[in-house]
Amino acid sequence: MTQLQARGVVRAYGPTPALRGVTLDVAEGEIVAVTGPSGCGKSTLLHCLAGILRPDAGEVTWRGHRIDTWSEAARSRLRRTEFGVLFQFGQLVAELTAAENVSLPLLLAGTGRREARTAALTWLERFGVAELADVRPGELSGGQQQRCATARALVTEPRVLFADEPTGALDTLTGEQVLTQLVRLAREQHTSVVLITHEPRIAAYADREIMLRDGLVDHTGLGLDVPLAGGAR
Amino acid sequence: MRPGTLVRLALAGTRTDTARVVLTALSALLATLAGLAALTVLAIDKPPGDAWTESEQYRNALLREPGLRGGTAFALLMLTIPVLALAGQCARLGAPARDRRLAALRLAGATPGQVTRLAVLETGVAALLGTLAGLGLHLGGREILHRPDAQGRLALPTDVLPSTGAIAAVVLGLPVLAALATALMLRTVTASPLGVSRRAPRERGPRPWAGILIGVGVASFAAVRPVAYRFDGNDEVLGWLVPLLFVAGALAAMIGVVIGTGWISYTCGRLLRRYARRPPALLAAGRLMADPWAGSRTFAALLAAVIFGAGAAALRAYFVTQDQLQRAQSQLAGADGGADPFYLSTMDLVDAAVAVAILIAAGGLMVALVEGIVARRRAYAALVATGVPRGTLSRSVAWQALTPAVPAILLALAVGELLGRGLFPRAATGGSSAQVCNATAALCDDPATRERYTRIVETPGAERVPDVPLEHLAWLGAGATVAVLVTVGVGLLFLRVSIALDELRTA
Amino acid sequence: MGGVSTSHVLLGLLAAGSRHGYDLKRAHDERLPRARPLAFGQVYATLGRLQRDGLVAAAGQDRAAGPDRTTYALTDPGRAALDEWLSTVEPPMPYVASTLFTKVVVALLVADVDRARSYLIAQRGAHSARLRELTAAKADPAATLSDVIAADFAIDHLDADLRWLRATLDRVADWHREVHP
Repeated sequence: MTQLQARGVVRAYGPTPALRGVTLDVAEGEIVAVTGPSGCGKSTLLHCLAGILRPDAGEVTWRGHRIDTWSEAARSRLRRTEFGVLFQFGQLVAELTAAENVSLPLLLAGTGRREARTAALTWLERFGVAELADVRPGELSGGQQQRCATARALVTEPRVLFADEPTGALDTLTGEQVLTQLVRLAREQHTSVVLITHEPRIAAYADREIMLRDGLVDHTGLGLDVPLAGGAR
Repeated sequence: MRPGTLVRLALAGTRTDTARVVLTALSALLATLAGLAALTVLAIDKPPGDAWTESEQYRNALLREPGLRGGTAFALLMLTIPVLALAGQCARLGAPARDRRLAALRLAGATPGQVTRLAVLETGVAALLGTLAGLGLHLGGREILHRPDAQGRLALPTDVLPSTGAIAAVVLGLPVLAALATALMLRTVTASPLGVSRRAPRERGPRPWAGILIGVGVASFAAVRPVAYRFDGNDEVLGWLVPLLFVAGALAAMIGVVIGTGWISYTCGRLLRRYARRPPALLAAGRLMADPWAGSRTFAALLAAVIFGAGAAALRAYFVTQDQLQRAQSQLAGADGGADPFYLSTMDLVDAAVAVAILIAAGGLMVALVEGIVARRRAYAALVATGVPRGTLSRSVAWQALTPAVPAILLALAVGELLGRGLFPRAATGGSSAQVCNATAALCDDPATRERYTRIVETPGAERVPDVPLEHLAWLGAGATVAVLVTVGVGLLFLRVSIALDELRTA
Repeated sequence: MGGVSTSHVLLGLLAAGSRHGYDLKRAHDERLPRARPLAFGQVYATLGRLQRDGLVAAAGQDRAAGPDRTTYALTDPGRAALDEWLSTVEPPMPYVASTLFTKVVVALLVADVDRARSYLIAQRGAHSARLRELTAAKADPAATLSDVIAADFAIDHLDADLRWLRATLDRVADWHREVHP
């Protein structure tokens, strides 16, 4: 079943066009990588899909509802409850502990403090950083911070996780560990993932890759209809 | 570095930097005006005669009576405290961005000295422009306001000027002071080209040292009277000891309250963190605990004004009580002079000064609050992107400002009241005796018969402890709280505008 | 180069103790999980060559199992040969030669930009698919460290190839102009 749909999405920053009519579908539980060179509009597409930005033209549909016409408050609620958002870095609240950061979305949804903390600890445990629950982000390594941020993005068990270069600030090995955990947990709870990356090896975690170029989907990107030489690998 | 390069780099700022420069100049201007006014009052020549000879050319008793001029100048100088605090807050406006820019210059190979010179140049020149403008305004105002009335008396001391040396000290001293303060604040940036990156976490909150400072302040005010009795007649000792007690006591108490606000912020944060149920309070708690000094910096000027105001309220209560005692005594003696409005009208002027100080402090509060919001713009944008409602962020800012503000204002009120009360613990009138003639005027006027009708009325000395001016203090506290509320309200409007999700693009 | 390696792998496997041919094949496939599986014929051919050169010796026969089950052991010259091989460093890419690279060059020589581009795109698709396959195998909780390290080796090389493919796609038009001035 299609969870999320973009139809001819156009978005510009002042006179600079970032997206020039992008169409794409994300099915339930599907992991889609969006790749392309810097400035191709990857992040803008993610912001439009997640309802952070409103497209200038085109439609964004979530389970059959057009969300690009919703108010900021309604889209905010959607992001809080149905979506999870993960950035490259700097999304944790510096003044709150890891556990408080992870429990924040639950508290916003009205969950009690004790219950929220229990859930936060469970998720920190799943990412192997339970012992850092009462530490503030400033004292965590980049990988630990990103694990906490991923736990926070998944703690509400969202339908779609939007990840913008989630491993961009990490070394290869740490990035792979974080991403492997993210993908495993997303698959376990049938969360769709929209994964923005410019690295082929990160895009390889996805079921499908969409290539953007100059604000448009590059359909020539991934032809697979050519026979492999020698018929073997 | 050539001067041209220096100027080019010093001007390479954003609009926030321009705002900082303008505000720095403006606060230097205000400080110059207050300082020059105080110096002018002090520069009034005492006409020859005994210690009580008045300068008859002025309409206002505050200027006419030599005994009052010192107090007037002191009150004017006190006005510079909130102004200087405002200057300090303006100096932090956009400072994180500037610190980053200067750190980038360090990374590009600038020496610590060059970077410091850049920032010092900016602040120094801005402050100098401000003080020069202030001087111009003072000299211009002097000409315009020099209007003797029918008796040739003046409303303001427009006929005297402070000495050239004193003027130069204000006009040049303030920029130097501002430049030195900037150099001091830039230590972290100049020390490392990486600027302030990961700061060591605060292991424990501020200790309540503030209590000791407040105690010292209150004790030295309370010591003024006993000291004055002890060294009565020894003008040499009194000449330096009493002003020392005043200045040291006032400074200790103000610094104590400002530091105490750090402790209050931390404690409020801890309590909020423990009992908060909702995210806004939790976010505020985290911020209060992570940087308890933010509250001190933000409220410093306001609290100084409140202390001053509360001290003035205590003083007014003393004058009222004293006046009542004297009236009671006069009535016993058979005369009723009515209330003596002299001291009370003087206090009205002081209260007006306090109101002005609170207004200036509110300006500083606004600058500090907006600065705090601007500095966190990216963090706020990231939170909004993950679905945190803007209302939640607004409420967290309000919690963060108001939670420490209310106890801190109460503390400042209490300390100000204690200072005033320490200085004048009780109103007293000495015993007196008066001749009263209980007869018709004719009989009394006749020296022969007067003796028969006249008797001596002995009035015993009276003492009364002035009431705590609760109503006055409540008004003052309410005024300060309203100032905080209004600035928080404006700050929240600013927050709404400033969370642009475009911030995410620079991630 | 492959043949040379196979003999050194067999010498290495024998360093731990003598084994017969079937054991050697199994150990080879286990330790080098994503290598081309070794055929029995190749094992025996290589062992024969090593025995001829005096690097291994027949150490006995398991009578119950039949004639093919000869046990081989490492000889002293064999140990010396293994040591020497291990202590030399492989020359890092002495020649830039790969079928992938050569094919693009030839495509540009004999055809136009579009032909070269469509080859590059198709190759990129195939590389991506293989990369995805290896990534999934690696992320499998049941994967052993041998599997992960072998997959990593391939992933890193495919990743490098993909970067090269992407950059070359962006340059192919200019390149064509250089080849056909």
